[in-house]
Formats: sequence, structure tokens, C-alpha cells
Amino acid sequence: MNSTVETVLHLLWTFAQLSVLGFGGGKGIIPQMHADAVERYGWVTSQQFTQFYTIGKLVPGPTTIFAALVGYAATPGRPIIGAAAATIGMFVPSSIIMVGFDSLWDRFQASPWRTLIAHGLAPAIVGLVWSSVVTIGRGAPASIVAYGITAIVVLLTLRTKIGTPLLILLSGAVGVAALR
Amino acid sequence: MSVEVKKPGLGEIALTFAAISSTAFGGGQKASVRQQVLNRGWMDHERFMDGLEIAQVLPGPNILNLALYCGQRVRGIPGAVAAFLGASVPPFVIVLIAGALYFKFSSNPYVHGALRGCAAGALGLTIANALELTWDERTEWIRLVLVAITALTVSLLKMPLLLVLVAFGGAGIVHEYLRSRRKPRE
Repeated sequence: MNSTVETVLHLLWTFAQLSVLGFGGGKGIIPQMHADAVERYGWVTSQQFTQFYTIGKLVPGPTTIFAALVGYAATPGRPIIGAAAATIGMFVPSSIIMVGFDSLWDRFQASPWRTLIAHGLAPAIVGLVWSSVVTIGRGAPASIVAYGITAIVVLLTLRTKIGTPLLILLSGAVGVAALR
Repeated sequence: MSVEVKKPGLGEIALTFAAISSTAFGGGQKASVRQQVLNRGWMDHERFMDGLEIAQVLPGPNILNLALYCGQRVRGIPGAVAAFLGASVPPFVIVLIAGALYFKFSSNPYVHGALRGCAAGALGLTIANALELTWDERTEWIRLVLVAITALTVSLLKMPLLLVLVAFGGAGIVHEYLRSRRKPRE
């Protein structure tokens, strides 16, 4: 089989699985995405994975759109095809579930399962976000300046209302000066 | 109370979500959707809040799920398709441009430095998010234990996501069910 076709099928299948497991807005899928994209298929390096995730946070729309960049890198001959495959895999399955549930939704209005799922899944999702910190940290630069940027961004995020894109851009400006 | 509900065209739905998805970030997206949908008279506040809840419970990006809900409520499946395209195509195009620039310039030392700085910043955002979310779980010690067990098994043992959701998500749901039988949550 043509290697691009094979990669496209792997991209579709990999991201489709992440899509249907993307509870909590997709916050919890980062460790599994890294396991698949970096360790299993070698589509991207750890450093690229972290940088793509960063770009996902920097652009408007859902962060998980960075799946497109993983697909882009996975099919060097046809980057747009790979990017489209990864994005379709990432967004279409969860959308079908959402649209399918909407017709059942009214019948479950008074039922308590919505709160059960939302509150019940939350601790596992939060644990997965901590694992994402480890995953993203593996591809982030290891130096005193980089640790300083990370620490300051943590403080600014918790203590001020500065928006996400501005914080990342400021971090980039420090990087240009000190992390070349 | 009966509110006059307007039926928008498919193009209007797609363009409304395209405008939001190409300009709004993070939590601001939900506020933008709320404002647009209510101002345009597509649905009332109660309906919107229902949609926000389902969008957050089901898998998928909240903003995309919310767009699908709104599109489907006003124009059925074609409305959902229009909303999907509006909410996903602009971010896709923007991220493609970013990708093309990335592969062209990432070896340039200045760009390389900028990317490393941005990555360190994004790590900080993720840590802050984890701290805030953990703070929300402090109400019961067992929830904090679940957070810690999940983080450790995923990071150290590379436990697959499906298994994590079944085991620890399932444990959380069972705990929540037993707790709600004793004392319903407000």
C-alpha cells in the first residue's frame, strides 16, 4: 500500500479514537496523543509535539486543532492531506456523537446522569491534565530561563487576567532574547 | 414565556461561527457564542444553557459542540453541518498557515528561540490550568486521591486513555452516584 495512504488511515483511526475519548473538552487526551504520535508512529518528535501544542494554544479555536500539525508533519509529501485527515479524525466522530445525542437530550432532561458523568469524570480528567504537564514538559526547553518563563506564566495566569495568546507571545519574546 | 424564535439561513449560521472561531480564544469563545445566539434571537437563555451543559459533558471541544448544538436547534442536521464548517474550517486554515511557517522557519535561530520560549509559556499555562482544576476538586479527599492516582498511573505506567476513563472515570462516577443517593448535589 502507498505509504501516504497508509499514514492517512493511521491518522484517521488514531485521532478518531482520541476524539470519542475527548471528555472534558479534550483536555485529557494529550498523554495518549503523545504516546501514539511520538512513541508509536514517530510522526513527530517530543519537541515538535510540545511546539505544536503551543501553536494550538496560540491560534483561535479549539486547542486540539493542533492535531492538524501532527498530520501535516506525518505526510511530508502531502502535508495538507495529512493535516485534513488528522483534523477530520479529531473533530468528526465527537461531532456525530453530539448531534446524535441532541435528539435524545430532551428525554433525559430530568435525569441525573448528566451531573453524574460531569462530576464523576472530573477527577480522572484533572489527573490526565497533570500527566499532560509531564508530557508537554518533556518537549519544553530545559534551562534556567525556560523554567523562569514557566514559573512566571503560572503566577500571571493564576493572579491576573492577562489572556493566553499574549502570555505565550511574551514568553516567545523572552525566548528570542535568551533561548536561541 | 414564549419567545419569537428566528430561523437563520445556513450561510448565516456558518459565518456566525466562522467569525467566532477565527477570533475568540479559550473561555471567551463560550461568551461570544452566547452573545451572538441570544442577540440574533436563535434561542432563549435557558435553551442555550442546556446546550452549554451537554456540550461540556460529551466528548469534543466545547466550542465545537456548542456550535453543533446551536446549528442543530435552529436548522436541524443541515444547520449542524453549517455550524461544524464555520467552527472548524477557519482554525484549520489558520493552523495550516502556522504549520507552513513552522516548517519553513523553525531552524532560524530567532524563530527557534521564540518557539522554545512559547513552549515554556504554554507549559506554564498547562500547570496553572491543572492547579485551578485540582483546587475545584478539594471538596472531597477521595476526589483528590483519584486525581493523584490517575496522574501517577498515566505518567509512570503509560496507562491507555480508554482504560483510565473506564477505571478512574468509572470509579468517580460510582462514587458520585453513591454520594448523590445520600445527599443530592444542588
